[in-house]
Amino acid sequence: MSMLLTVDQITRRFGRKPVLHGLRFYLRRGEVLGLLGPNGAGKTTALRILSGTLAPSSGRVLLSGIDMQRSPRQAKARLGYLPERAPLYPDMRVDEYLAFAGRLRRMPTGELTEAMARVKAQCGLTHVGQRLLGRLSKGYQQRAGIAQALIHQPDLVILDEPADGLDPVQIRELRGLIRSIAENAGVILSSHALHEVQASCSRVIILHQGRQLHEADLRLQAAAARDVQVRLRPPPVLSSVLALPPVETAEPCGKDALRIRLRKEASADALARSLMEHGYGLLELRPCRTDLEQVFFSCIGMESAA
Amino acid sequence: MILVIARRELAAVFQTPLAWMLLAATQLLLAWVFLEVIDQYQGIAAPELEIGFNAALAERLYGATLMLLLLIAPLLAARSLGQDRQLGTDQLLGSAPVRISAILLGKLIALLAPLWLLALLPLLLVAWLVGASPVDLGLFLAATLGLCLSALLFASVGLLTASLVRQPTLAAILAYVLLIMLSLIHDADQLAALQLSLLDWLSWSQHLVWLFNGVARLSDLSYFVLMSALFLALAQRQLANRQLG
Repeated sequence: MSMLLTVDQITRRFGRKPVLHGLRFYLRRGEVLGLLGPNGAGKTTALRILSGTLAPSSGRVLLSGIDMQRSPRQAKARLGYLPERAPLYPDMRVDEYLAFAGRLRRMPTGELTEAMARVKAQCGLTHVGQRLLGRLSKGYQQRAGIAQALIHQPDLVILDEPADGLDPVQIRELRGLIRSIAENAGVILSSHALHEVQASCSRVIILHQGRQLHEADLRLQAAAARDVQVRLRPPPVLSSVLALPPVETAEPCGKDALRIRLRKEASADALARSLMEHGYGLLELRPCRTDLEQVFFSCIGMESAA
Repeated sequence: MILVIARRELAAVFQTPLAWMLLAATQLLLAWVFLEVIDQYQGIAAPELEIGFNAALAERLYGATLMLLLLIAPLLAARSLGQDRQLGTDQLLGSAPVRISAILLGKLIALLAPLWLLALLPLLLVAWLVGASPVDLGLFLAATLGLCLSALLFASVGLLTASLVRQPTLAAILAYVLLIMLSLIHDADQLAALQLSLLDWLSWSQHLVWLFNGVARLSDLSYFVLMSALFLALAQRQLANRQLG
């Protein structure tokens, strides 16, 4: 499959200060790539370069084979960008704003009405079309910001900290929205929250101090997220624990402790119930840190914080 | 694309009370100046009145409007670019397939709408006198053209300084300094005791004085258009450089 986005050795300096060193990756249509890193890692700078609002000091960005530096308007027509802060005009109504965003992307007037109805339904904005953006809650403002990035059905959607300021219900809706966007486009999102990247992305790049430290396929790590560690009394017999319905695999890890991988449909409380029904006293039950979490902390030099 | 941006900016100017308050305050101030001039010339015979009255009206009424334009245009220009940075909407415009020049021209059109309305206010006042007093319409039309061209120049300088510095207030102050320097630059030849016609040519007030005297010369019109284009081109370059960092 041909690459939707190719990022080739992007470097960026502000004055003499380098903030991004040789960022290099690719993205295919249908993928959701997460840029993960602590605050100040260079995520926003990287996304601004990808969106064409900032030029790289060296390197190049190819979107569907179009060079962002050489043909910026052709490349920008194929992308939608939600910056860290939703770019809203508080004096505009949601409908006016979406129409403006569509016209900026050179959408024909005839297609605008249909496109606005589509993104409003997609982002849950249907009933607030006549409300002023400045009067909307943070969650709805973020939705309007996402809607403007989707109105022209771009090939690439770039979302900078899209879950910032959203409540848990809205975050859950956002994950669903990202999945639906990825059916027809490539998505890049940045976050400093591990769980957010794990929940939404198929691939992750860890950035720290402007350097690309790790790239991983999260689908392979999805299974690891079902691992829990238990400490039992009396000391567990491995064969009897393996026979429990919620348990997929189990292995000893220290005195009286087991690392258990739950079956896909099983939950930690089902495991706890099952263990107690079989006569075990539960001294401790905690989720194991996933490989990504271990890699992340090791990348940013915080192994001791485990 | 220029019109898409201009429409958005115009809505921002006219949907808020800002432009209306500016126009109302200007009209009030100009009406006061207008009545003051009329007061001075009441009871004077028609031949004498024709020369003195028209010149005084042009000088006082249009002079006051010029000062207001000088004050307001850089402020509005600085607000126009500064607000985009403040709201983060510069990222929306920057990631859209739009040239920087189209953004600047859209903003310029939206700036000129209230400024040119303001520049027409003295003419509206003068129109009240047609039929009642010997009015030199040519003089006032030329002076109105002078105000419109000055507004174009002031707004262009305002957009340039707003592209140079991030704080809108600082940008407006910088524009005032630049415009005042550009107005007084022709005095430099007196200091050096040399005839430097280039400095005369660079000074916008030297060109405006002709228009305020009822003389619309192509060279003066070209000056305003060329200088405005130069400042806009510099603003475009500055905004493009900001992306390069």
